[in-house]
Amino acid sequence: MYPTSPLLQFAENLLQIVALLFMATIYTLKIRWILRFPQGKDRQAPRGVSSGQQGAKTSLLAIAMPWTMSSTREHFLLYMQFVVFHVGVAGSIAMSFVIPYGPSLMRSAGIVKALQVLFLAAALVGLIRLVRRLGSTYMRSISSPDDYFSVCLLIVWLVFSALAAPNNPQAGEGSLLAYFFLTAFFLVYVPFSKISHYLYYPFARWYLGRTLGHRGVYPLVKGA
Amino acid sequence: MPVERSEKAAALVQRIPQKVNRQIMLSLAACAHCGLCADQCHYVLANPGDVTYSPAYKGDRMRKLFKAHLDWTGKFAPWWVGAKSVYTDEELEELKDTVFGKCTNCRRCSLNCPMGVDLATFNRMARGLLVHVGVMPDGVAHVAKDQWEIGNQMGVLQDDYLETLSWMEGELQSEYNDPNIKIPIDKPDADVFYTINPREAKYDPRTIADAAAIFHFAGENWTMGSDGWDMTNFGLFNGDDELGGAVAARVYDAVERLRARKLVISECGHGLRSTMCEGPNWAKRDLTFPAESSVFTMLNYIKEGRIKVDKSKNPEPVTYHDSCNLARSCGITEEPRELLQLVCSDFREMYPNRAENFCCTGGGGAMSMSEYSPRRLKSGKVKADQLKATGAKIVVTSCHNCVDGLFDLIRHYKLDMEVRQLVTLVAKAMVMPQAAVAEVPPVVIEAVRPARVLEGCKILVVDDEPDVRTYLRAIFEEQGAEVVDVPDCNQALRAIERDRPDLMTLDLIMPHKTGDKLYWDLRKNPNYVNLPVVIITGYMRMEAPGIDFHRFIQEKNLPQPEGFIEKPIQPEVVLEKVATILGKRVSLQN
Repeated sequence: MYPTSPLLQFAENLLQIVALLFMATIYTLKIRWILRFPQGKDRQAPRGVSSGQQGAKTSLLAIAMPWTMSSTREHFLLYMQFVVFHVGVAGSIAMSFVIPYGPSLMRSAGIVKALQVLFLAAALVGLIRLVRRLGSTYMRSISSPDDYFSVCLLIVWLVFSALAAPNNPQAGEGSLLAYFFLTAFFLVYVPFSKISHYLYYPFARWYLGRTLGHRGVYPLVKGA
Repeated sequence: MPVERSEKAAALVQRIPQKVNRQIMLSLAACAHCGLCADQCHYVLANPGDVTYSPAYKGDRMRKLFKAHLDWTGKFAPWWVGAKSVYTDEELEELKDTVFGKCTNCRRCSLNCPMGVDLATFNRMARGLLVHVGVMPDGVAHVAKDQWEIGNQMGVLQDDYLETLSWMEGELQSEYNDPNIKIPIDKPDADVFYTINPREAKYDPRTIADAAAIFHFAGENWTMGSDGWDMTNFGLFNGDDELGGAVAARVYDAVERLRARKLVISECGHGLRSTMCEGPNWAKRDLTFPAESSVFTMLNYIKEGRIKVDKSKNPEPVTYHDSCNLARSCGITEEPRELLQLVCSDFREMYPNRAENFCCTGGGGAMSMSEYSPRRLKSGKVKADQLKATGAKIVVTSCHNCVDGLFDLIRHYKLDMEVRQLVTLVAKAMVMPQAAVAEVPPVVIEAVRPARVLEGCKILVVDDEPDVRTYLRAIFEEQGAEVVDVPDCNQALRAIERDRPDLMTLDLIMPHKTGDKLYWDLRKNPNYVNLPVVIITGYMRMEAPGIDFHRFIQEKNLPQPEGFIEKPIQPEVVLEKVATILGKRVSLQN
């Protein structure tokens, strides 16, 4: 174990804890805000073999079942990009905990290499998504500055994630510092940006699935 | 950006928090702007490159409002997250054009959104907000008014409805030579209370007769109601939950008043969804009786052996169009297919199908918005291609809006196909005891009237209601006439110039320019002064004092029109009048 600078120690620990607490506070307030909206009621009699709960489960799992939606089935490449990008983001978030609190988990060079490949692939996908957002008239028409900034932020963060993955401060702390400061910024920015769709979508899917399951629409019957 | 809001914009903004529930709020917040919904919409597929049809773009019109007025980020940094409020009436008109004219609420995008964003539901909410401040297509206002005031969305008066039932009862008794066949009305303690779409009473009463025959031969203890007989609900289309609740409650009250044991809803996608699924929520009451689609009822009769069917009686190739409301909002996809397999000998699947089927283009109240008809027909290319690929001669659907929407597409894209409903095919396939079958042919109108009385005549039909145009077209075409129909007076003038019709039927109340103005224009114009005109209107003078046609022609010293017929349309009356004017009277009487 090599000694690290006080700045890096701060970035790895206190800064992350403060950023996480800030995010948790905002999310708590947001959840309270969501719950202030009245919940619609399904008074109709249940229909079909499914139930509201089953429908909700089906709906939540739909994101992992690309064959169930024509949008993901017909755009399988986009779906795979989505998978790589989000797995990369999840991996990078996990790494921000592993480096300060469980560095031994990343001692294997193979794991480090795998993570670097994942982060770079995700960054590349991010770049492709940015080009698509800029190049497609459909995408431009629905994009706000936040959409562009969010994807740029994630691309840069994923690149620094790849550089920080070896966790080798003696070779220079620059990439680790950049990674941890970006992570902290990311945690603070996320609740205010479109990136927080990950917080909302499970609820949106759950409510949609509950209604459609209650009515017998979910799980969908596939055509012959 | 203007600071002052118009009165309507202010009222709309004030209403937003009351209309947003948790599900809608989450749908508004969860969109990741991924764009995967774009090509799931038939409007987009038929209008490549036009971003304004994209579901995410349409959703964003509403999301911008949500961000501006409910979301923190939109209040803090509106430009950063794309928040934008409405200030002017022009902006409300733009929103109207999007939510009424570019979306049929078919829910195909909702089911294909990876995030579960229910675009159709908040599109309906946006409609409700606009309706609340009086911004909506004329046709929507007209139909909603009829449903509030008269109790059904086609303005069918109770006497006309009861007369139609009586007429159909007589038809059935003649057809089956059985005076015991009845269409019971207000019979207490029946096992089945049957509700219909007023379109059936007004334009397609044969479906009532078919259903009545099925109930009769199944030995059902059933009734129809003199009140609460309309299960359609324009509240679903205009986003007005209060209208939705009031209309649904009329049906529930009628069932409970007669102590019927089950509510059976005739084949209507939005009617079924409104009455069975959404109605209890809108009306805030739990149903005290079960409700089902007549498709289930007919299927059970066959399965239980209560009626016998012979599928060879329907030998033509048949395909099935899944109504969006049935497939994507009520989960009804398999029962209609099971029934079709029992009553048709050549069933062919359409692709894609079930919940992935494309919209007929007539849903979401689109048939009442004539100003958007060109868009609707253009976007129907997707559906037309689907239909054509089946090679079927009959497309069956379990929805009246789909019937009208598909009929328009079939005509527009010149497909060799007819639209039918399941009830018609089941009635045709029924095997009855020999004694029950009379010698009298089933359709009296056809039997007494030699075909093609209007051969060689060209008739222009001017009416803003698509159902009326469709109905009149069918009547005239059946008699050999060439028919041109248009939804408004401006198009009528162009059609007169272009097509040189021999006669024109003219509605009086239409958007943009009323029929009396067109009549005045024609009678002033020496080129068209002699064009025979038959006024066909549902508005009597007392109900529409601004359109007092009789006074109008007296004051203007105009000649009387060649014909004046009041709705509801009786085919014999229309044919007799038109044939007489065109010098075909002798043929008719023969």
